[in-house]
Amino acid sequence: MNELHLIVAGQAGQGLQVISRTLGRLLVRAGYHVFVSQDVMSRIRGGHNFARVRVSTRPVAADGDKAEILIALDTKLVGKHTADLAPDAVVVTDAAGDLPEGLNAMRLPLIDLAREHGKDPVMVNAVAVGAALALVGLEPAGLEDLFRSQFASKGEDVVRRNMAAAEAGYRAVVEDVKRSCPHKLVTLGTVPVRGQSPGAERGDRVLISGAEAIALGAIAANVRVVTGYPMSPATPIVEYCFRHAQEAGLIVEQTEDEVSAANLAIGAAFAGARAMTCTAGGGFCLMNEALSLAGMTETPLVLCVGMRPGPATGFATRTAQADLLFSIYAGHGEFPRAVLTPADAGQAFHAAQDAFRIAEMYQTPVIILFDQFMADALWTVERSELRVENRQEAKGKGEMANDRSGRMNRQERQVPEGEEAYGYRRYEMSESGVSPRLLPGTPQQLVYADSDEHNEAGHITESAAMRVRMVDKRNAKTAGIRQELGAPKVEVKVEAEVEAEAETLVFCLGSSRGVVAEAVARLRDKGRKVVMVHLSHVWPFPAETVARLVEKIEKVVTVEQNYSGQLAQLLSQECGLRVAGTVRRYDGRQFTVAEVEAGLEELIGEKVD
Amino acid sequence: MPDTNAWATSAEKTWCEGCGNFGILNALRAALVAAKLEPSQVVVVGGIGQSGKVTQYLGANFLHGLHGRALPHALGVKLANPGLKVIAVGGDGDMYGEGGNHLLHAFRRNLDIVCLVHNNGVYGLTKGQAAPTSGPGFATKNRPMGTLVPAFNPLAAGLAMGGSFIARGFAGDLKHLTRLIGDALKHKGFGFIDILQPCVTFNHVNTFAWYRERVYDLALEGHDTSDADAARARALEWPTETGDARIPTGILYRSRRAAYESCGRPGKPVVRLKYDLGVVKRALGDFE
Repeated sequence: MNELHLIVAGQAGQGLQVISRTLGRLLVRAGYHVFVSQDVMSRIRGGHNFARVRVSTRPVAADGDKAEILIALDTKLVGKHTADLAPDAVVVTDAAGDLPEGLNAMRLPLIDLAREHGKDPVMVNAVAVGAALALVGLEPAGLEDLFRSQFASKGEDVVRRNMAAAEAGYRAVVEDVKRSCPHKLVTLGTVPVRGQSPGAERGDRVLISGAEAIALGAIAANVRVVTGYPMSPATPIVEYCFRHAQEAGLIVEQTEDEVSAANLAIGAAFAGARAMTCTAGGGFCLMNEALSLAGMTETPLVLCVGMRPGPATGFATRTAQADLLFSIYAGHGEFPRAVLTPADAGQAFHAAQDAFRIAEMYQTPVIILFDQFMADALWTVERSELRVENRQEAKGKGEMANDRSGRMNRQERQVPEGEEAYGYRRYEMSESGVSPRLLPGTPQQLVYADSDEHNEAGHITESAAMRVRMVDKRNAKTAGIRQELGAPKVEVKVEAEVEAEAETLVFCLGSSRGVVAEAVARLRDKGRKVVMVHLSHVWPFPAETVARLVEKIEKVVTVEQNYSGQLAQLLSQECGLRVAGTVRRYDGRQFTVAEVEAGLEELIGEKVD
Repeated sequence: MPDTNAWATSAEKTWCEGCGNFGILNALRAALVAAKLEPSQVVVVGGIGQSGKVTQYLGANFLHGLHGRALPHALGVKLANPGLKVIAVGGDGDMYGEGGNHLLHAFRRNLDIVCLVHNNGVYGLTKGQAAPTSGPGFATKNRPMGTLVPAFNPLAAGLAMGGSFIARGFAGDLKHLTRLIGDALKHKGFGFIDILQPCVTFNHVNTFAWYRERVYDLALEGHDTSDADAARARALEWPTETGDARIPTGILYRSRRAAYESCGRPGKPVVRLKYDLGVVKRALGDFE
């Protein structure tokens, strides 16, 4: 067996995220690839939350099929997962309460152990971690170091109690197996550990959520001001920044509303700080006027927009890809923007850096559009993939100015050469559409940023001729942004695959990538000539790349998490493609590999040999 | 034509003749000159309406943004670069209507900026609709029978929200208003001034003459600006249709509540911080 799947279920407030992350990190340290997804209800306590943990010897970016291990902290929840379990799956649950018939159940006094060894029923999460380790065949010794890094600020006593509870959970499983065997245990003992091959060391890989990767990418890009009003799924980005504000030199503001969050960021960016605001679709609606202002005043602004199912409040804690067209067209008037759609934590880390680079170079808003699933899942990423790009540009202390040709200039606070005192013109015409940027505070110069239509200095104008020149200037930046973004991160492999007689291209975006990749791989194993193309940015639309890819293709289909096939609409609008069909899901849950495989098979049609 | 270092700009002024805005612009400029501030070190942030056009005419750096959003913009500028002197300017629609939520929280936050509200009790640029500060019975095209609800009381609201500098000026008393703005510039915290500004085109009730008959200077009547109870009583003074109450001007309340320091705010302005690659490397270690 090369893979193992666990489900950890419990009520909100029982620390499921702690369990899955702790377990996941320990497994990554042991050399495995881990993928963790979260299924969370919009409530504070009670209910039914669960995490899926997939452990593998090869990279994984989607949930697996059936689980071999279920750990249910609340016995009542076992019944909700019987359909998710592989035959003979081990079910670990509390000794209290009734269970459905016919399960390979291991009843352990989880809560009592937490009380006894952890001195607190909440330590049931540590008991569960210990039990899980015994089930998969790993020693609990490595836990102490992990607990210490997680709970250092809470004191040594908390570390000790967690450790005692975890060891109790571990022992309980080992003893239960001795006493009441035969439990058919599925352990990792038989799984070869790739990372323990010579040369591989702890620290080669990290387990990180998409939201954390966005925050870290922003810090790598020299962000200085982060704003937001709490809203799932963007909240973890702001929370990460709050926790690291002191160390990373950030100002993090929770504002009175999203309107304030976006406008505060614009003010900060005008003053010269790299600024980012974080929200979800509903909050983004409130930010639309500010988005338009950033376009008009030519202020760099990065917006992290999380997609969850709408309209309105919809499903607060679940996933969707229904704000794709909205993010491309949001805001009144016409102005340039970029919309990036990272697939996973690795791409998210780079998307944040790309976003700041483009916003700063082209003095315009950039949207990082992500789905809830991407933000909340934990992804195993090679450290070598998490490079800090454009270090020279990032070092510009957030006071990047642009020279006359629109290139970024690190000599901040310098008046453009030959500029007379008070002669600076914020919106000076240029071929690229980008004007030299000075910051307020520059001696002997004044900087005017204007929401009204304005002349080159930045003063209000009602001139028809100036209006046309300014509209042309602003929108000229789209060409540069398109060039800067280049082709989406379509792997070289895809191009080669397309060359090799592909018949069907499957387009997807966001976190669907991991699922679609596996489904497509299965179809190719069955001899179907199908290739996946994931778009890591959707605006400016990479029309040239897409046109080149589809040149010899018979059929184009999409896989997307919305009702109306928005990516298909975009392909049709931007490339004139007729999309043959769309595999859709809009119940707020991530696709499974099996359903995408089946859906694609149906769209592709009968296999012709 | 380049603007000069004389607190003036090349922009043509588009206000009505005799508008109260001229008085406010002149008082602001005089106060900035008296405070010996350099135009390049001042950022004026404006809302949308006739009041926001102060940004265009003053001769300092400006961000002329959105209706109601001057305070979030001002907050952003000041947090990013505390070395700049930041002044937010808006009308009653900006600050008491569209951006009312921002104002309430600005009082609480107490960031070190100045906030000037051109309060003319009517919407000018959209041609004569009622404002949050229009008095009961104030007839407009939209409500010919008069406004149906009581006027918004910015001074009382500011006191309730813990504001640290709450004042009222009058566009018809340039000397007094200049001194008041000077005091707000010196104040370490949110320096708020509600400025009574006659609208010569649309407001035929609250005219220069109407105000002149009713305003009085608190400083001349022995008002204690540190007494919150006294300030609350003064904030409620306003003429009714039948009553003959007067209108207090000057500083109603001033406290030394510490100005806002952002969470995690580093020792020096973030726009001056050096880039540190080590932060990312160390942070990634938490995920091993």
